[in-house]
Amino acid sequence: MSAMSPRADVAVSLIQVAKSYGDVEVLQPFDLQVAEGEFVVLLGPSGCGKSTILKMIAGLEEVSHGEIHVAGELVNYVRPRDRDVAMVFQNYALYPHMSVRDNIAFPLTMSRRPRLKRDVIEARTVTAADIVDLTPYLDRKPAQLSGGQRQRVALARAIIRQPAVFLMDEPLSNLDALLRADMRTSLLEVHARIKKATLYVTHDQIEAMTMADRVVVLNAGRIQQIGRPRDLHTAPANTFVAQFIGSPRMPLHDLEVRDDGILQLADVTLTGDADVPLAPGASVTVGLRPSALRATSSASACFVGEAKRRDYLGSDSYLEVDLGEGLSVMVRAEADAEVRPGDTVRVDADPGAIHVFDEAGARICGASVCRRER
Amino acid sequence: MILFVGVAIALVPFLYVVSTSFKESTSLFSYPPDWIPSPIFWGNFESLFADHPFVQWTLNTLFVSGAVTALKLWFDSMAGYALAKMEFAGRRGVALLLLLSVAIPISALIIPMFFVVRYLGLLNTYWALILPPLANPLGIFMARSFIVGIPDDLEASARLDGASEFTIYRKIVLPLIRPGLVVLGMFTFMLQYTSFIWPLIAVQDSDRQVLAVGISGLQSAFLQDWGLLSAGMLAAAIPITVVFLLVQRAFVFNDLSGALKE
Repeated sequence: MSAMSPRADVAVSLIQVAKSYGDVEVLQPFDLQVAEGEFVVLLGPSGCGKSTILKMIAGLEEVSHGEIHVAGELVNYVRPRDRDVAMVFQNYALYPHMSVRDNIAFPLTMSRRPRLKRDVIEARTVTAADIVDLTPYLDRKPAQLSGGQRQRVALARAIIRQPAVFLMDEPLSNLDALLRADMRTSLLEVHARIKKATLYVTHDQIEAMTMADRVVVLNAGRIQQIGRPRDLHTAPANTFVAQFIGSPRMPLHDLEVRDDGILQLADVTLTGDADVPLAPGASVTVGLRPSALRATSSASACFVGEAKRRDYLGSDSYLEVDLGEGLSVMVRAEADAEVRPGDTVRVDADPGAIHVFDEAGARICGASVCRRER
Repeated sequence: MILFVGVAIALVPFLYVVSTSFKESTSLFSYPPDWIPSPIFWGNFESLFADHPFVQWTLNTLFVSGAVTALKLWFDSMAGYALAKMEFAGRRGVALLLLLSVAIPISALIIPMFFVVRYLGLLNTYWALILPPLANPLGIFMARSFIVGIPDDLEASARLDGASEFTIYRKIVLPLIRPGLVVLGMFTFMLQYTSFIWPLIAVQDSDRQVLAVGISGLQSAFLQDWGLLSAGMLAAAIPITVVFLLVQRAFVFNDLSGALKE
């Protein structure tokens, strides 16, 4: 048994879990605990190992190292069907030859102990279908449903089991944008209703930021940061998280700390917010969060540069502003701002706009604009 | 025009057999040939059913073909499932071995097969006709190729839902490969229905004999009764035509649409 034991209110606990295929290590050892009723999103680019984590919890992949506990029970050697987890797959994985009713009821018809009576199965099927608004479609076949409806069948099939944990593997990835937004809302409503621990895999940061209580950011088999959506945005643990979270992508600039411990970014000086001053001569990377930089008409603006490009997004626009010396930043502007390439743009930085990372990419501190020198 | 020629080439021999079966042997070689027999002569059929155990041959053939087909579909689909979806040591080796055995011609197998069947004491029994064809690995390959196309997530999902391996095979895989199995079944049934060499060797009793061998026995070195032979061929074609018509409905395509995102 492990030295660490999961807490009572923890639905899923992964302790030093790792996965490798032969010599290829696809997941480095990591710990993760998901509380009862918590919605945790595993976020990362394709191939980062997030789906592998779900499959290991479900028992569809073996664990190479570490322990997985579900509802307080070590499940490493427990068969998938006995793990008290339900999974919604990336593709719907519906049984095409069965009706919606039979698809939803399938887990209950498979239940051996106790074997459920037909009227109990029917009642629970109708309840599950009702939760996802599928009652009128119970007698249809999956092929007769729209994409969103099929995904709801898959969800109802997971709900009907009343599991301790829901695992969702990119369930919305192939829906169109409008339907995806609707389904996000539906999923959150269902989650609020049944309040079960949910692990949700996605590569879409908007899904992660809008749905999660906590987000686990992964890259190349390694956990980069675990935190609330706001924490990832305001205090990214490293350059990967800083660039992966937020749109447009945060530009990064390599700088050297001056002898007086101050950073010089084009004609602007920056001071780190850390308690310990930045080491003189150290190589650092500075990132400026586009959404926290605003085009302004104020004479006391932090940065001044030349507009190079404008991306119109409807609610607002983003400008690429050249600060000189080969440095450029993305800046938020009013949607109807009259800015053309070549125009001079003044830029204000909100608190939390500037982040300083060390040579290895780990975040050191935030930074504030000290003054503009020219 | 080309189609017409093709159809004619395919149909003329059959029509000639039909015509011959309703003629007396004496009028067979008249020139020019009479395509429509006049008067219609039923004697060939009367002789076929009265002087020969034709009904017994037909029942034997239907029983053997049906048994082989049912057992083969069952075994091949299970073996195909194991080879397509289950992880076990030596899976590739088994698949390769089966593939190699497909390449061995039946004529090379007949003598060893005869000795095995004789050793088991099964000569001149229905088992001698049913068991050897089950070892043909071609069906396993066909079943495997149908099953490989079924997405892994369907089984993973069923496994999580509590289905055992056999339940996944029976409730998920079998219904999804049904059209393929119907084709495989028809193919197997046809092959057995027309099988000649092996039944000729394995069974001696006329009462246990199958149609193909029985009909060939209607001729002898001294007597070639073409009318009787033609009547036998025509009568033998009727049951398999009926079987074809019955299973035609099962060809309705049962695809995977709706299983996955499109």
